[in-house]
Amino acid sequence: MPVTREARPAGGAFIDFDPQATSLEIRGFGLRYGDKPALHDLTLRVPRHRVTAFIGPSGCGKSTLLRALNRLHDLNEEVVQEGEIRLEGQDIHAPEVAVAELRRRVGMVFQAPNPFPMSIYDNVAFGLRLQGGLRKRRLDDIVEWALHSAALWDEVKDRLRASAWSLSGGQQQRLVIARTLAVGPEVLLLDEPASALDPISTLKVEELIRNLKASLTLVLVTHNMQQAARVSDYTAFLQNGELVEYAPTDTLFTNPRLRRTENYITGRMA
Amino acid sequence: MRWWRRESGRARLPRGEGPWAWLSAGSVSLSLLLLALLLGLLVSRGLGHFWSADVALVTLQDGRQLAGRAVREAPLPGGSGRERLYRTGNRDLDGAIWDWVALTAIRDVDYPQELVVLERRRWSEFIGRLVALAPEAGPRLEGEAAWSALEERLLELEARREAIRELREQTILPLVRRLEREGESEATQALAMAEARVAELRASLAGASLVLESVSGKRLIQPLEEVVRARRPNAMTAFDKLVAWGQDVWRFLSEGPRAANTAGGVWPAIFGTILMVMLMSLLVTPFGVLAAVYLNEVAHQGRLTRLVRIGVRNLAGVPSIVYGVFGLGVFVYGIGGRLDSWFFEASLPSPTFGTGGLLWASLTLALLTLPVVIVATEEGLARIPHRQREGALALGATRLEMLTRVVLPMATPAMLTGVILAVARAAGEVAPLMLVGVAKLAPQVPVDGDFPFLHLERKFMHLGYHIFDAAFHGGDVQAAMPLIYATALLLVLVILMLNLTAIFLRHHLRSRHGTLSSY
Amino acid sequence: MKPSAPNLPMRQRLRQGRDRLATALITAGGIGVIAAVMGIAVFLVVEVMPLFWPAQSPGVGLETLWLPQDLAGLEAPAYRWQPTLGDDGGPLFSLTPLAWGTLEAAAWSLVIAVPLALGAAAHSALFMPRRLRARLRPTLELMEALPGVVIGFVAGLVLAPWLERHLGLALALLLLLPPGLLLAGGLWRQLPARLQQRLPLGWAALWLMPWLVMTWLLAHWLGPRLESLWFGGDLRSWLEITLGLDYANRNAVIVGMAMGFAVVPSIYALAEDALSGVPRSLAEGAQALGATRWQTLWRVMLPAASPGVLSAVMIGAGRAVGETMIVLMASGNTALMTANPLDGLRSLAASIAIELPEAAPGGTHYRLLLLAALLLFAFTFLVNTLAEVVRTRLRRRYRRLGGPS
Repeated sequence: MPVTREARPAGGAFIDFDPQATSLEIRGFGLRYGDKPALHDLTLRVPRHRVTAFIGPSGCGKSTLLRALNRLHDLNEEVVQEGEIRLEGQDIHAPEVAVAELRRRVGMVFQAPNPFPMSIYDNVAFGLRLQGGLRKRRLDDIVEWALHSAALWDEVKDRLRASAWSLSGGQQQRLVIARTLAVGPEVLLLDEPASALDPISTLKVEELIRNLKASLTLVLVTHNMQQAARVSDYTAFLQNGELVEYAPTDTLFTNPRLRRTENYITGRMA
Repeated sequence: MRWWRRESGRARLPRGEGPWAWLSAGSVSLSLLLLALLLGLLVSRGLGHFWSADVALVTLQDGRQLAGRAVREAPLPGGSGRERLYRTGNRDLDGAIWDWVALTAIRDVDYPQELVVLERRRWSEFIGRLVALAPEAGPRLEGEAAWSALEERLLELEARREAIRELREQTILPLVRRLEREGESEATQALAMAEARVAELRASLAGASLVLESVSGKRLIQPLEEVVRARRPNAMTAFDKLVAWGQDVWRFLSEGPRAANTAGGVWPAIFGTILMVMLMSLLVTPFGVLAAVYLNEVAHQGRLTRLVRIGVRNLAGVPSIVYGVFGLGVFVYGIGGRLDSWFFEASLPSPTFGTGGLLWASLTLALLTLPVVIVATEEGLARIPHRQREGALALGATRLEMLTRVVLPMATPAMLTGVILAVARAAGEVAPLMLVGVAKLAPQVPVDGDFPFLHLERKFMHLGYHIFDAAFHGGDVQAAMPLIYATALLLVLVILMLNLTAIFLRHHLRSRHGTLSSY
Repeated sequence: MKPSAPNLPMRQRLRQGRDRLATALITAGGIGVIAAVMGIAVFLVVEVMPLFWPAQSPGVGLETLWLPQDLAGLEAPAYRWQPTLGDDGGPLFSLTPLAWGTLEAAAWSLVIAVPLALGAAAHSALFMPRRLRARLRPTLELMEALPGVVIGFVAGLVLAPWLERHLGLALALLLLLPPGLLLAGGLWRQLPARLQQRLPLGWAALWLMPWLVMTWLLAHWLGPRLESLWFGGDLRSWLEITLGLDYANRNAVIVGMAMGFAVVPSIYALAEDALSGVPRSLAEGAQALGATRWQTLWRVMLPAASPGVLSAVMIGAGRAVGETMIVLMASGNTALMTANPLDGLRSLAASIAIELPEAAPGGTHYRLLLLAALLLFAFTFLVNTLAEVVRTRLRRRYRRLGGPS
């Protein structure tokens, strides 16, 4: 990945990418809940087909930022946003952007698995059916492909009609990923996807994330630093709603530029 | 003395809980006991009414005889001794159907097999002896032969009455309506023919008569067509009685009322109740769900919405009669009167929609039960975890798609619970109906083969109102009591069943919710 | 390789349009439905207004409605509700006796229902095992679902004549029940421990039932004796002669008993919610100090839960005020102004049910009955809102105290 220039010399290290290699661009983005500010003046670029991790203490705004990337805050009337977010160069808040289509292109996986109360097959086909215009055969193909991509096919191929709630927690989370992959997103947002899972399921999900970056841009929010180190290519450290440092993962974890970052990584700060 | 204070010094504290514990336990017992008493009363009296109890032939000390069924005993007004109430029937012969007899005045009680009980269309039942059957032509039959001939004749009569009823409903009524609409036409001729046929059938009913004799020796010539059924309870085995009981229960459920609602069946009332409740649930479900979805999913969750929510909740506590007043003022006089002056001017001044009817009753009850459905649905919606909605949105669903494909299916049991509770409440409400549409006696059920098949403007009968009417507007309340009990039991059974379904559903919902929130 | 889904911009736009349309429809429909329900109050107010324009309805004003009027043939001013024909030919409209009847009926039903319901709530919140409580609740909910017309029928046509004949028995029962229950408690204390375990206090609600039936039988035996001993053989004539109380066949006490029975479940359910919602830590703290469960209730739980209990009683009162069929069938419907509980009464709701179908729309009588409906509406709505506010406060307080157990 060509690193073009170091931006914003003040304080921490900031890595920047060529616009050609950028999937998501966040420029001067701020957000507050009513009177309560949550994010200040964030500027960063997320590289295409890489895994970018957001880390930081609880309440630093990393999940808030993630949710802003596919406009989930639209539901909440208290939220006030400023600045802009561009997906492949286009402002996602532009009036001509349909929010449903944006969310199809930017998929999201949540902290706790949230399969719908229907069969495994119907869960994966849910998003596709919304798009419509698909024959049964093609639907079957895509569902199978999505379950393969989420490394779940072998475990569920004999019981596609069983309720999704009968799966284990780790399987449910992979099902949710498969469901999201099925609609063909360009970006996949993962909000602490393994925090509710046992260690073995966590490893499976992490492996899956590494495999997916061949075709997708992934953004991962995690509070688990080992996980960020294991999985991501670039890491952004947020604190109090501000971006503190943004660097290649190796650099950030072995040689952080700022004291704040170092304290957090080495666990000297809660 | 003071046993509950005594142990305060003892070591084995705190076993004693003091007097209040027992009083409070007693209040639970008392409530349950009262409930059991009420239900037991309804069940025993309601079902017992159909049992052909033995008929006693009582010989008094002074030689007088009477025949009847013992109803109850009570102490004599003077203080010493008791008296017993017999239901003796024979209102036409004796002028009353009850007889109080002091126990000391009774010399002998016997249960002779030949005593008959005749259910008649007028004058309530006859209890006494069958002397003879006099057919239209041919010789009089007496003794056993008369009895077996009577049973045969009654079956035949039943068939003919059925034929008349069918003719009237299938042929004559539609013809009459056609005449009303189109004036003179070939319908006149068809009508005349049908009426001739009915007259003929009716004539074939008349003729035969029974010679009856009460135990006190009064004779009576009873036209056979007035007799509904005849039984000799003392000659029946327990099994016979059970069969007869089943038949009578069926008649009660399937026939119309007789004798100013004090006898006969309640079929039109059952039909009216069910139809009205069905219409009501058709109205209340979409509107209730719509309002709940709006309040919970669409409306801005501010102070105003919170106030509206409390208001809606409290409307469930507003007396039902107030809804009745609203229904009368707005639906019947307001909208109904307007409709009449626009579309039914021909039939004014007699109102079509400008008077109580099925539609207005259903609408009023729908309004009355709307808060129940809204509250239940809102609770169901609020219980769906937020992550389910976000999951749907994150897949590119619009809000409508999220609602229809994920949220509403998950809230279905809650909605269903609400609707069932609403139906249960509506089925028992009588007060608003008294203002907007029940009738004491509705000769025509609101559904028939005549276009548009469902007549929303007609009045209808209702089980609850039937109880009120029979209990307070009938002539002889005592005679109607068994029937009221049976009707009340029926109403309570229907409502209890609906409530049990709702309780079961809610339980099911809770246990499913348990699995949902476990991870 | 991924088999890709077709991207259909047309369909995209269609979905969006449908979503907007549906949102608009839901908004319109929802607001419409809610407005229709709320419209009841507006309708009543608009219809009642003309009543207070002197030109519209002469002879009707606040004084004539609520204050006693001088009537021909009577020495003292009196309240009269004779909407169709008065003594001097004109109709007499005084809402006071109707309002009085309504409140009297509600008061008597609360007198019956409140002790029963609160006792039951206390017992089930304190002593009852969870299994039994889970059964009791739906049972009492079924009791709530019993239609008013059935309860009214039983009260008016079964209970009223029975009570008339068995006044002595009823009095004996009233006198025997509390000591009988206390006696049961006393006897239970003397039982050997094994038997006490077989008959635990938590299940007392069930095994006390045969005991109550025995009390009943005792009262049956005692009643007539009591009557002949104290009241010269006939309690009813003693009431009439000695106390000067008229005994009407269908009277306020009958109404109270029937309606009390009907409102017990709703008071019970809300009061039990309030009591069992008291944070467990609070009750356990008191019990750890050696208080009995009843003392815990009295000193700790009840003060904490009292707003909830109060709102339960208020909602019960709201129901009792508006109940129509029970009063209609069990009260005799005589518009009297008397404090005698053994005399008949006529309530606002019953008057509406009886008279409104006959009243000419737009007339004074019609509007007065609508005013009665408005009064009922305002009263119940206010009482319920107050109860709701109290309950919300209470829930907040419980959360502060450590959350419901």
